[in-house]
Amino acid sequence: MSYILDGLRQGAALLLPPGREILQIIVLSLAVSGAATLIATLAAIPAALFLALKEFRGKRLVVGLVNTAMAVPAVLIGLLVYGLVSRRGPLGALGLLFTPGAMVLAQALLAFPLMTALALAALKGVAREARDLALSLGADRRQLAVAVIRQGRFAFLTAIIAGFSRVIGETGMTLMVGGNIKGQTRVLTTAISLETMKGNFEIGIALGIVLLLAALAINIGLQLAQGK
Amino acid sequence: MMEIHIAGLGLTVGNKAILDNIDLEFSPGVVNVILGPNGAGKSTLLRLLGLLDRPGSGEIYFDDRAASSMSAAERTALRRRCGFVFQAPLLLAASVEANLRYGARLRSLGVSDEAVRQVLGATGLAGKEGQEARLLSGGEKQRLQLARVLLLDPDLYLLDEPTANLDPLSVKNIEAAIARLAREGKTVVLATHNLTQARLLAGKIVFLQAGRLLQAGAAADVLRHPLSLDIAEFSAAENIIPGTLFRRDDSAMLDCGPLAIEVVSERTSGRAAAVIRPEDILVSLEPITSSARNSFRGTVLAVSDLGAVMTIHVDCVGIAFTVFVTRISCSQMGLAVGSGVVLTFKATSVLLLPLD
Repeated sequence: MSYILDGLRQGAALLLPPGREILQIIVLSLAVSGAATLIATLAAIPAALFLALKEFRGKRLVVGLVNTAMAVPAVLIGLLVYGLVSRRGPLGALGLLFTPGAMVLAQALLAFPLMTALALAALKGVAREARDLALSLGADRRQLAVAVIRQGRFAFLTAIIAGFSRVIGETGMTLMVGGNIKGQTRVLTTAISLETMKGNFEIGIALGIVLLLAALAINIGLQLAQGK
Repeated sequence: MMEIHIAGLGLTVGNKAILDNIDLEFSPGVVNVILGPNGAGKSTLLRLLGLLDRPGSGEIYFDDRAASSMSAAERTALRRRCGFVFQAPLLLAASVEANLRYGARLRSLGVSDEAVRQVLGATGLAGKEGQEARLLSGGEKQRLQLARVLLLDPDLYLLDEPTANLDPLSVKNIEAAIARLAREGKTVVLATHNLTQARLLAGKIVFLQAGRLLQAGAAADVLRHPLSLDIAEFSAAENIIPGTLFRRDDSAMLDCGPLAIEVVSERTSGRAAAVIRPEDILVSLEPITSSARNSFRGTVLAVSDLGAVMTIHVDCVGIAFTVFVTRISCSQMGLAVGSGVVLTFKATSVLLLPLD
């Protein structure tokens, strides 16, 4: 047991103050997962609003597909993105493989169905009622959008928190498309995995603490934004 | 004030026709009541009128302007002439006053504090401005919805069961307010399954069932001469007796099993139902000589008190009749459970509805 306590102590020491390398890893993790969550949000909110408000043929099928997509393993998305951005792939010319760009793309794809499904579930009822109320009172298009988004803001925040939490903790897929290159694509999860396998248990623990703190900070921040 | 004309309106969701080929007109000046049981399509029709949903087929004309040819801006402009009261109150998570002013804010209408005070008073919500709307009682929420719409002073009122959750006194006040709107020349369309309300308020009645328009016309006509058994059952739930038509001498008769009722009918065969209004049946203790062609002996099964009028249930050889008798007649005749009576009514008082 003592080596775990030693690991915790040494891990804490590595963070006070954090070295340049650890700082770089932290910043890259937050940047990649933040960008991925942002992109997924920009796609998921309109998608959820559309699915919540519009009736169309095949809507059930689409909702079913979104829900199924939540169950797709991250490594499969990693495989897909790898295929897309590797040199022979359709996006190969962009040279994205083993860059933060590829990681953002993969993480955004991973978060999108989860965020859409969560926002849709939370919007059910709420969005329709907000729409009916605003429309019946004479809202124009802009006023209608404001009313529905305002009413759905808690739904969206829940989805954003879940999406960010999902991608910042993702390892295998991020490793596949990012490559865990030191100083370039190494993020918290891939670093923890590498350092632990190398036997650098205390570094793993230090990074683990950072990962938890980062997730906690983001969650608290978003909760505060909800105003409750 | 707004004239509404509906032509061939239909809406199908999945395989189910929610509304099926509806032709209608709504005019200002009277309360137009959409009557019908649950699931008739009343709310759907109101939503289409309020431009909240789009019909699957057909057209709605507002003052001769076809809704389907309107631009988005024109549809918004039209919605701004409507006031919609939802069956289940829709309110913002905000104060009563914020809810009240929400519509005015969306329509960029300036509303004076005096106007706010006035509608709050008219809807019995005076002094509640600062309260959280979500914490109001069901009835208060419904009145707040109406207040919000009254404040906008629209030309067209679309009211979906506006008194469903209210206590009797509030119902009376709201009904009076609705009647006043119609008198002031507004176009008022009210959906309800409450027959008493329809009788009280309606200038025009539109009867819907399972998405189909069964009858539309002046309220008195629809209530007095229902065109189908469904409407009769809904609007005059008493004395609907099915049977088979036959001819006896020169008269048309309806064979109702234990007794045969003389009716006025061209047809003398086939299934039909006799509808006899309770107030058209004469109750006596002994057979009377009169021109009325139908007279049956029976026994009083129950007497119930409705205030000025007593309702007497009479069994005539296995067929139950409901009759209205004034309180005075009832006591003078000494009617009680078990009394032997004679029921008399004219053949012309029998409304005959074909069953096949």
